[in-house]
Amino acid sequence: MLRTAFLACLVALAGYVSASWLTHDFEVWTAEGARRLEVAQQPVPVPPVSIDGWGIAAERLPTLLAQGGGITLVDFVYTRCQTVCLSLGSSFQQFQAALQADRAAGKSPMVRLLSISFDGAYDSPAVLQAYASKLDADPTVWNWVRVPDTAEQQKLLQRLGVIVIPNGVGDYEHNAAFLVFDAQGRMVRVFDLGEQQLALDYARHLAKGGRL
Amino acid sequence: MNGLPLPRWRALVAAFVSRCTPPRQVLLAVAVMALLLVPALRQWLTASMWRHMVLQFPLWLVAGALLVAGLSPVARSRIARWNAYGISGLVGAGTVLAVLMVPRVLDLALVSAPLEAAKCTALLLAGAALRLSWKAAGLLVQGFFLGNMLPMTAVVGQLYIDSPLRLCNAYLLDDQARLGAWLVTAAALLALGWLAQVARRMS
Repeated sequence: MLRTAFLACLVALAGYVSASWLTHDFEVWTAEGARRLEVAQQPVPVPPVSIDGWGIAAERLPTLLAQGGGITLVDFVYTRCQTVCLSLGSSFQQFQAALQADRAAGKSPMVRLLSISFDGAYDSPAVLQAYASKLDADPTVWNWVRVPDTAEQQKLLQRLGVIVIPNGVGDYEHNAAFLVFDAQGRMVRVFDLGEQQLALDYARHLAKGGRL
Repeated sequence: MNGLPLPRWRALVAAFVSRCTPPRQVLLAVAVMALLLVPALRQWLTASMWRHMVLQFPLWLVAGALLVAGLSPVARSRIARWNAYGISGLVGAGTVLAVLMVPRVLDLALVSAPLEAAKCTALLLAGAALRLSWKAAGLLVQGFFLGNMLPMTAVVGQLYIDSPLRLCNAYLLDDQARLGAWLVTAAALLALGWLAQVARRMS
């Protein structure tokens, strides 16, 4: 009986240790939660993938993020999307309005917006431009790019933890979020769609030289 | 309702069980494991959230349970010394099943080969532990085990049904709700099955 009690305790302890590892000390339960926590603890550098798109001169993503030395709010979209990207689009319109207001008030915001398409095969620069102008995107604030090379696009999505799955009716489901990047091309924080104001304020705070 | 009279049905089950000799069980276990490792089948099983948890998980448990048939009586009695009333085994199996209910496991198992291997091994061991412990446990310990596991499964299932958010990045929301319904149903059926067996034994 003693041996049984010992073994049972050992097994339970092993279970506790693995559960604690799995949930980052019982803080997160989902893969998305773990991704956000891990990014906040350890920024993720973007791979130097080639990009093309509307209103940009840079050829590689890190170069684009480094331009102007500011902070970039990024979202992943695809232009054929009819659901969550539309709400992301409207959030980004509000970000754009806020950033334009910052600029008009004489504050140099140093925060820019970037929409990256994960449907690079369809979203050519022309398609992106048409979509961007439909959303009244101001190219001095809000850029649109795709990663034309499929393998590179996959690498980027994987590195940033963006998971895209077909939903069976011709659309994609994806873990939509606001990603905050610093000028070194590192993803420093991931915000939920519901944390729109927080994402903007955090980006402004970093742009003013605030600490991570 | 049932075409077969009860005694005949029982005789059929008994005949089936008597033909499942230990070597055949081990062979079956190896066949099940080999099938589960076929990439195309693994892909199909894990492509949907409910198949991942309600088909793949139990198949690994069954393979583990079948493998136990290959243990010699000596090995079994050695294990039994560390497993009075099946307590260690049931604690182990319960721990494995509880940890594997964390939604992050399903996502991680798809992208991390070491985690997938650990998950399958844990399920195999849990299946073996369940079989090695079940009879020794007796009704009381069995009841305690199920009284913990089944409500937990049902609660997790209900959570999956009710959640407006996708808990796994790799699966769709309706898939998640379907898994929830399966988990609640499975918990209810297992509870009913166990209670029926208790009632039969008591009468």
